[in-house]
Parts: sequence; C-alpha cells; structure tokens
Amino acid sequence: MLRRIARHEWRMLFAEHAPWVVAALLAASTGYAVLNGLNWTSFQVATIEKALDEEAERYIGLKQQVTAIESGQMRAPFADPRMPDMAGGRLAPRYAAMPPLPLAALSIGQSDVLPYYFKVSTASRESVLTTNEIENPHRLLHGRFDLSFVIIYLFPLLIIGLSYNLLSLEKEQGTLALLLSQPVPLSTYVAGKIGVRAALVVLLVVMFSITGIAVGGVDVTPGGTLLRLAVWTGVVAAYGGFWFGVVLLATSFGRSSATNALSLATVWLLLVVVLPSTLNTAVAALYPVPSRVDMIAAVRVASDQASAKGNTLLAKYYGDHPEFVAGSDIEKAINDVAITRLAIDDEIEERVRPVVDRYDTQLARQQGLVDRFRLLSPAIVAQDALNDLAGTGSARFAHFVRRVEAFHRDWRARFASMIVQKQRLSAAMYDDIPHFTYQDEPLGAVVVRAGVALLLLLGAGLVLGAIGINRLRRYPIAG
Amino acid sequence: MIARIARKEMVEMFRDGRFHLAAGIIGVLLLASLAAGWKQYADLKTQHETAQRAERANWLGQKPKNPHQGAHYGVYAFKPKSQLSMVDTGVDPYVGVAVYLEAHKQNEFKFRPAQDASTSIQRFGELTAATVLQLLIPLLIVLLTFSAFAGEREQGTMRQVLSLGIGRGRLAAGKALGVAGALAVVLVPATLVGVGTLAFTSTTGLLAVDVSRTLLMVGTYGAYFAIFLALSLAISALARSSRFALVALLAFWIVNGLVATRAFSDLAGYLHPTPSEVEFDKALQADLANSTALNARLEQIKQGLFQKYGVQKLDALPVNFRGISLQEAEDHGYTIFEKHYGDVFDSFDGQNAVYQWGSLAAPLLAVRSLSMGLAGTDFAHHRHFTTAAEDYRRTIIRYMNQDILVHPVKDGEEYLAGSDLWQKVPPFEYEAPSASWALGHYITSTVLLSGWLAATLLAAFVAANRIEA
Repeated sequence: MLRRIARHEWRMLFAEHAPWVVAALLAASTGYAVLNGLNWTSFQVATIEKALDEEAERYIGLKQQVTAIESGQMRAPFADPRMPDMAGGRLAPRYAAMPPLPLAALSIGQSDVLPYYFKVSTASRESVLTTNEIENPHRLLHGRFDLSFVIIYLFPLLIIGLSYNLLSLEKEQGTLALLLSQPVPLSTYVAGKIGVRAALVVLLVVMFSITGIAVGGVDVTPGGTLLRLAVWTGVVAAYGGFWFGVVLLATSFGRSSATNALSLATVWLLLVVVLPSTLNTAVAALYPVPSRVDMIAAVRVASDQASAKGNTLLAKYYGDHPEFVAGSDIEKAINDVAITRLAIDDEIEERVRPVVDRYDTQLARQQGLVDRFRLLSPAIVAQDALNDLAGTGSARFAHFVRRVEAFHRDWRARFASMIVQKQRLSAAMYDDIPHFTYQDEPLGAVVVRAGVALLLLLGAGLVLGAIGINRLRRYPIAG
Repeated sequence: MIARIARKEMVEMFRDGRFHLAAGIIGVLLLASLAAGWKQYADLKTQHETAQRAERANWLGQKPKNPHQGAHYGVYAFKPKSQLSMVDTGVDPYVGVAVYLEAHKQNEFKFRPAQDASTSIQRFGELTAATVLQLLIPLLIVLLTFSAFAGEREQGTMRQVLSLGIGRGRLAAGKALGVAGALAVVLVPATLVGVGTLAFTSTTGLLAVDVSRTLLMVGTYGAYFAIFLALSLAISALARSSRFALVALLAFWIVNGLVATRAFSDLAGYLHPTPSEVEFDKALQADLANSTALNARLEQIKQGLFQKYGVQKLDALPVNFRGISLQEAEDHGYTIFEKHYGDVFDSFDGQNAVYQWGSLAAPLLAVRSLSMGLAGTDFAHHRHFTTAAEDYRRTIIRYMNQDILVHPVKDGEEYLAGSDLWQKVPPFEYEAPSASWALGHYITSTVLLSGWLAATLLAAFVAANRIEA
C-alpha cells in the first residue's frame, strides 16, 4: 500500500514539475556553494605553500650569509644571522600551518575568521598568535555561500516549500475525504507522501554535494576522509529528517495551507536565524571577552617597567635559571643585550599573563554557555557537526593552537638557551631548527562528536514525527 | 476615505492574536538588540578613550632618550566607536581595534574582536538592531500584507467593497496606510528609545547626536519598508490566491535576506581577488629592501650640503645628517606603503562596489551598505581612520627627525631629547567624516534603492488599479 501511495505521489510531484524545480534549485545552489568552498580551500593550500616557499628561500639566503660572514667575505650586518636572538626572532621564524582537510570545501565554517597559519618566533605568545589573513571585512560580515549555508538555511526551506500543504491542499481541494473513503489509514498516506519528498530532497542534496566535490577534484584517499564523508551524509540526512518531523507536526494541526506556510516559516526563522544570533549576542553580553585595548595597555606598562629595571631582571633571570650560570662567564653575560632582552620578555609575559588569561577564561565560559544552550537550535547542532567533520570548526582550531603553543614554547626555550650560552649559529645549525608538523586530533573524537549530533537530530526528528503521526488520528478530514 | 480604510485595517490587525505575538516578539528583540548595542558602544567607548589617554601619558612620560628611540617607542591609536554602531555594528567585529604607530613601518590593525569571541556560533552573526530592521520587519510586513487583496477576494468581500464605488487606488493607499500604522506601533517607540538613549547618554554634551546621519538612516529604513509594503500589496493584488501571494513573497524575502547577500559577496571575491598576507608581505618587504633610489638620493643631498656649507665631512655640517637620512628613508617608505595598502584597500572597495550593484537583485544589499556607511561602521570609515592614524604617525616621526636634524653631534656622542620634545607632538585627535562623505560612498546604493522604491510603488499602483473581484 505504502509503495502504491509513494508511486502515486511521485507521479503527482512530476506532474507539477516539482522534482525538476527542486533539482534545478539544488544543483545551482550546491554547485555555486561547492565552487566557493573549493576556491577557498585551494587559496589556503596555495598560501601555505607560498609561505613554506618563502621560508625555504629565506633560510637559503640566511645560510649563505652565515657562510659568507664566517669566511670573511662579508661584514656582519646589524641583523647578524649568526646571533641566536636575531635568528630566533626576526630572521628565521618558521611557519606553523594547519592545512585544510580534503572535505574543508564542504563547510567554510570559521576558517575565514580564524588563522590557519602562524609565524613562530621568539616574540611573545600574543604577538605570534595574532596573525590575520587579508580579507575584506565586509565579506567576513556577510559570510560565505558555502555548502553548509545551503544545508543549514536553504535545505529546510526547500523541505517546507515542498510539504507545507501536504494534506491541507487535498483538504482545500476536497479530495482528502474522497481519498480516505478508501481503506487506507491517514498515517500511512502521510508517511508515503513524506517519504517520497524526503527521498527526493535528501538524495538530491547528497548526490549534488558529492558530485560537486568529485568534479572539483577533492582527494578522498587520505585516511578517514570517507568515514567523515559518510558521517557528514548522515548528519545532512538527519537534519533533513528533523525538518520533516517539524512539517509532520505542523500538518497534524489540520490548518490551512497559508497558516501552515506561515507557522513553518516562523519556526524556521526562530530556530535558524533568531535563536543562534540571539544566543551569540547574549553570550557576548553575559561573558564579554575583554577588549584587547586593555591588553595592549597592560603590555605597554609592563614593557616600560621591565625595560626600566633591565639589570635587576638579568640577575633574577640567572637566579631562575641556574643551569645557565654554571660554566658561563656571568660578568660578560651581564653586558649581553640579548640576555637582558630575554629577561625583559619573560618579565613582560609574566606580568601580562593575568590579563591574557582573562581572555581564555571568558572564551571558555562563552563556549560553555553555547554548549549548554545549543540544543535549543538544530541549526547550531548541525552546523557544529558539519564544521567539525570538515575540519573548519572551533575544536580543530583549538587543537591547532595548543600544538602551536607547545612548538612556540620549545622554540623560545631553544633560542633562549642558545642566547645564554652565547652560541653562534652555523649554516649547519640552521638545518637543525625544528619544523612544525601538524597532527590532527584523533578521528575517533571527531566522529563521536558528530555522531552525537547526528543522533540528537535524528531523535528530535523522530519524536516530533511520532507526535505528529499520533495527532493525525484526530485530523479534521472535512471542514 | 483612505483614513477610514486604514483604520479598519489597523483595528483588524490589533484584534488578531498573531499580530500581537509577532509584533511583541519583534519589538522585544528590537529593544533587546538596541540595549546590547548600547552597552557595547558605551563600554568600548570608555575603554578606548581611557586607553588613548593612557597612551598619551606614556608618550609624555618618556625618559630622556634619543628622538629616534622615541619614534620607535611610538603610540597606539585606538579606533573610536561611532554612536550609531549601537544600531549597526557593521564590520567592527572583523577589523582590528588598534594600530601601533612606530618608526619605519605602517602596521596593520591588530586584534579583530570576532577572533577573540570565536565560539562555534559566532558565524551565525549577532542580533543587532540592524538585523531586526533588515530581516524581521520586512517579514512582518509580508505577513501583514500578503492577504490584503487576495484574502478579500477569497472571502468574497472584494466584490462588496468595490461595489461601494471606492477607487482602487484609494483602497490600496488605505491598506498600505493601515499596515504602516501597525508597524509604527512597533517602530516609533523603538526609534524614540534609541535616539533618546543616544541623546541622553552622550558624553560629548547633552543631545549631541549626529542628526543628519540619524535622519538619513531613518530615511533608508523607511524606504526599505515602503518597498516591501508596496511589493507585498502589488503581489497580493495580482496573485491568484493568498497562498500563492504568501509563498511568492516569502521566496523573495529569502532571496533578498539570505541568498543574495552571500552570493554577491562571493561573486565580488571572484571579480576582485585579494592577495594572501604572505604574498602581500613578501612584495612589500621586497620593495622596502630595494634602497638603490634612496641611497642615490641621500648621496645627492649629502653632496649638495657639502657644497652649500663648503665642508667635506658629515661631522662638520651645522646640521645632523642623520635627521635627513631617517626622514628620507621614511619618505621612501611612505610611497611604498601607500601603494601596497592602497592596492589591497582598492580591491576591497571594488568588491564592495560589486556588492552594491547586487542590489539590482535584492534591495537589502543597498540597505546594508547604506546602514553601515551611515553608522560609520563600514570599511570606508575604517580606511578613513587608517589614513588619519598614518598621518599622525608621520607627524610624530617628522617632529622626531626634525629635532635630530637641528642637534648636530660629534662622533660617538648621543643626543638625548626630553619632555619638551614629547610635549611638542600634538595629541592624536580623530574626527569622523561627515554624513555627506559617508553617503558619497554609496551613490550606487542610494540610486538603486530609490529605483526599487519607484518601481515597487508603480507596481503597487498599477496592480491595485487592475484589481478584479
């Protein structure tokens, strides 16, 4: 019976050309979205490549300079590449990059606002971690037309557009009573109608997306990519399922087509647009991240004070690091500007830490609040999962930053010890300066997070759908 | 007669529970977003002013040092918040809040607030008053208007109304006025509260509100609402059924409010690509490092001075040559920075121009551009501030180099300047450009928005006159 209803419904939809319209709309929007995503990821890949090229070129130049100075062909410049403070600071910083995942084109997420590479030097943590990509701020404000935008915002609208008059139209045309005089339960009939529509839009969305990335030449061979893609498909289907659940519930009230369209549009507006942005604003108002203006002022004051007592600091530095005192000539070291600088930097960092920590605490509080309230909106749950799977969300970024911080700490320690021991870099030592290698967080963690989101969406959809089906028993078939 | 129709429409709406709910929600959201915007504005304004004063104190409190060291110590310039940013925060979260002004280089703005508050919902955007005005109010208009004619036709009341002999144009005008009146119930109090808050909390004097910007903003949103109202009436008059009118208008609302803004923003990116930071910096450094022309010019000046004063050695000059060489190096840098930053900024402007032309398809794009521009939170204002900060950087450096120039030193000596010199540099004062300057950047938007208004009014007029029962 269900099959017969579905076949009939399918013919009806075709008679209205609905599948063609849906397919055309989806093809155009997913096509443009995937194109934008691919364009952005290839820009990122190219930029990282250029950065590494620039670094390699710079290193070759520095090594040549060192050799030339050592052999006496060149006079040592002010920025002497043999000096560890110069090398570790402004001359030989290395890039620490987080390459986009193969599926990044599916969701640009936060990757346009958050940095994807840092230039690591002995500079303070704050100045290393504040690189900005050049981007028109207007474009950052408007956001990108990417696939997750199509899925989160437009996909539900398509579902609503296809099914807001699921039963109401039949009722308005007077065919419903006629139809139900046949031995068919209303719920079976509705299930058939919804099933056909769900199959149509979900299959089309998934099909077009995968065709898009296949045509765009995304490489799915790296480990875990197919699994991510599979979960991604599941989340998209579950998000669609949620909206069909909403439609079913709205249908069960037996109102007119216009009322259904209105109430469904309102629910969509609240869940997808109003709730997330209100939550965003509320979070920012409840736990405001202090303005960076405060931090700048704190650094400024700390720098002035630290510089003023440079020599005292130097003594303190040796007190804190007795390992450097043994075997080195303290008297000579005291005159060493580089060591004073090192001590000053440490002092500044220590003084500024409480201010800096406030940012992290507030951000953690904000995210905590978001995590608690995100369940209110399926759009937030789905967007988070899609970003997570594409590797463009906050979790992967936080992971990246933690790794860069560790790399930066090692880098500073390494050059600090070279400075204190008054080493000079040879060309060979340049090759030993460590590279940053990015290692992704374990795939399992990502899949579990996305899987939970999938189940939540599916569960919510099923609950709404079940309530809807149950209510259908009292559906006012006539009048 | 028009007034009577309008009153009937309004009474009908006011009796409708759905109107109470929708208008109530939107009214609350509008007031809440204004409150959040005002709090943010007030907090940041105080912070920036305090910080700018502290920076001035730091500058003046410098110990005696060589003027060039003073130039290296530099000053931070903090971007002030504009008053109307409480309505539309615009690009403020996406541009840095401060720039460091120091010798030798024009720095980029650092610390984009959006990066600091990068929770996972950050890309859903903020609920500002502008969002409510740009997205929710038009939706309310659609909901109030879609059945204006189509609904009467379905209920069969249209025939009766027309049989009374009332002109179709008057009927339409009355209905439009009715919806406008209902909207006014939400909008007028919110506007008054907003303007009132600004006026009474202004620290630069009671009622010191930028009147022309505020009025232009009210006008822009007024035109936008009128466009939606006229379009909804036109569609309602032409539609076969109220269901069709509703679906068509919702589709327009979606394309206008959601699709077009992102689609055109991305299109603009294709048409005017920007370089990556890595490329930008590499090209900039390469140009800065190329000092052949600079060295030739310095040599020329040196020889000229030797000839003028009849000496052979720099030490023998009555001026300090270092003051000249430092200033010449700065001048060399100015043109390079202007070119590189100028190119990037021009491509942003190019992108924003494409976006404005997108309002051919969706009036919201014109409204968004104008709203940000008038609020002083668009890129044009950011660029204006960037230029002012850079001018101030040049002023500081010129004072420092001038002082070095007039203090010749012998070999090995170091000249130290004191607080007299620091005092000489005037404090940084920034004056935001006028409303007409802001509007000048959005001629395209203004023209296209006016075009939409004229076209939709005409459509409503034509459609209303062809109404059939």
